[in-house]
Amino acid sequence: MISFLLARLVGAVVTLFFVSALAFFATAFAPGNPAAVLLGNMATPERVEAVTRQMGLDQPTGIRYMIWLRETLSGNLGTSNLSFKPVNDLLAAALPATLELALASLLVAVVIALPLGLLVAQHRDSWWSRPTSALVTLGISVPGFWVGLILIVTFSVWLKLLPSAGFVPLSRSVAGNVRSMILPVTTLAIYLIPSLVRFVRVAAIDVLRESYVDTARAKGVGPWAILLRHVAPNTLITTITYIGLQLGVLISGAIVVEVIFSIPGIGRLGMNAVLNRDYPVIQGVVLVAATGYVAVNLLIDIAYALIDPRVRTG
Amino acid sequence: MTDVPAEKRRPSHPVLGIFSFLARRSPLALGLVSIFVLAAILGPFIAPYSMTDTNLAMSLQGPSAQHWLGTDPLGRDVLSRLLGASRVAAQAFLIVVVIGGVVGTTLGTIAGSRGGFIDLVVSRVTEILQGFPTILVAIVIVALLNPSLTNAMIAVGLAAIPDFARVARSVAIQLRDREFIEAARGLGASETRILFGEIMPNMVGPLIVIASFDGAQAVLWEASLSFLGMGVQPPAPSFGSMLREAQNYLAIQPSLAIIVGLAVSGFILGLNLLGDALGDYFGEARR
Repeated sequence: MISFLLARLVGAVVTLFFVSALAFFATAFAPGNPAAVLLGNMATPERVEAVTRQMGLDQPTGIRYMIWLRETLSGNLGTSNLSFKPVNDLLAAALPATLELALASLLVAVVIALPLGLLVAQHRDSWWSRPTSALVTLGISVPGFWVGLILIVTFSVWLKLLPSAGFVPLSRSVAGNVRSMILPVTTLAIYLIPSLVRFVRVAAIDVLRESYVDTARAKGVGPWAILLRHVAPNTLITTITYIGLQLGVLISGAIVVEVIFSIPGIGRLGMNAVLNRDYPVIQGVVLVAATGYVAVNLLIDIAYALIDPRVRTG
Repeated sequence: MTDVPAEKRRPSHPVLGIFSFLARRSPLALGLVSIFVLAAILGPFIAPYSMTDTNLAMSLQGPSAQHWLGTDPLGRDVLSRLLGASRVAAQAFLIVVVIGGVVGTTLGTIAGSRGGFIDLVVSRVTEILQGFPTILVAIVIVALLNPSLTNAMIAVGLAAIPDFARVARSVAIQLRDREFIEAARGLGASETRILFGEIMPNMVGPLIVIASFDGAQAVLWEASLSFLGMGVQPPAPSFGSMLREAQNYLAIQPSLAIIVGLAVSGFILGLNLLGDALGDYFGEARR
């Protein structure tokens, strides 16, 4: 158990180290002197040179990386080249909206996809099984952001029921927040549901073929009791790992959804930074998102080992 | 070489066999993919209007006899731009499949046929690469270089490497100790020759299946990244950049977003269905 977790921890740290190096060097070698950008067009060459030295940009890239790594590890991500605010503050302001969007969408997706996948597996020979899998293939093929646009056309433009933009923070108004998040959360959940249903279906069919299910059936246990007592728990274990793999989709989807619905989260912050070449903010966004991805996958591995003893001993 | 059930006996030429199988098993997939492949190849020659010339007097028209699919906010013909977008999406497909296919297949084959330490390293690296948010890689690459189709698709190609590597590795492991490999070795064939002459031909089927699924992902990502402004730059047409322009006019002309979205969904659906059907053809028990 300890060695399993230790190996996972080392893997997580190595991944984060590579990502941080990538984020630093990609921006360090990007064209344009940040000092010149910071000072604007009116600055004299002497002034640019002085600020370049002040910012440590005249140092060799290797040394700059060590300094950057030290600052980053001590929690200082620098200052935005665009708004001149500390990157830490910008990230802290953007994080709650992103977390709310991602967690709510994941919850909705699991609550819908898990029972649906189990049902499709249980009744895989019935007449509605084939149309359902066709629907799943269709769901996988439709771009999530287009679903968002269609939802806006339907519920904002035609029915005038829900707002298409204008995020209301939870701290200001709970009802307003829920109203402003219904369409974004629905869009992001639709990103996740089809592939999740497909995975749960396959996992559940595997479990249904296990000998302990045959044993239970032979002992006279009803199909619903088998589904709930044997199939659902064992399917859930593999599904948790799959959700870890889907986390990349969740993060990518959250960024797109934030842009569509103008939600002031990490994704929109990052996209604005990319389009304006605001390197410190780009580094901060990539680091925060990558850390979240790696940390959650680590937690899933730990949870997996706790739920299923076979992982620990194996 | 491979076990072929009697009822799946194929016509004389293998390529002909695939097409006749697809026409029976999934005519929808074959039809959709054919339409977009033809659009990508013939687009510039059959487009009724210019893809980039603007005409503000004709902006945001609905479908009509003159403009079958209407016009965009700058008065450009949507059908003509969709033909151009199909070509861009096909390029995205090719970039991703070439990067993922060449790097992934090479890594997977070497890892599978050599085993040991190399296998361990390749497996760990692909495991880390797999599932890592593609969009973060895209952000880093676009920040370093510039927003463009090629740069955006490099990120998606990197994400495709693990898929190809996994399949190539498992085929290589299955074949490593089979008799015909032993026989080739006994006849004095070099390791390189065994790799290219004996092992790789057996991967073609499974790799085509992966290429189809990852191609669908490539088209999806091209649209997403161009929608975010990180891919194809205006005025060049692309599914994503067209939807980005359409978003600002949802209240005035929703048909624009609906038409472009249906087009890109049709392309992706065709590739996914094609992957399913090809999987059946090559007897792949895929997820």
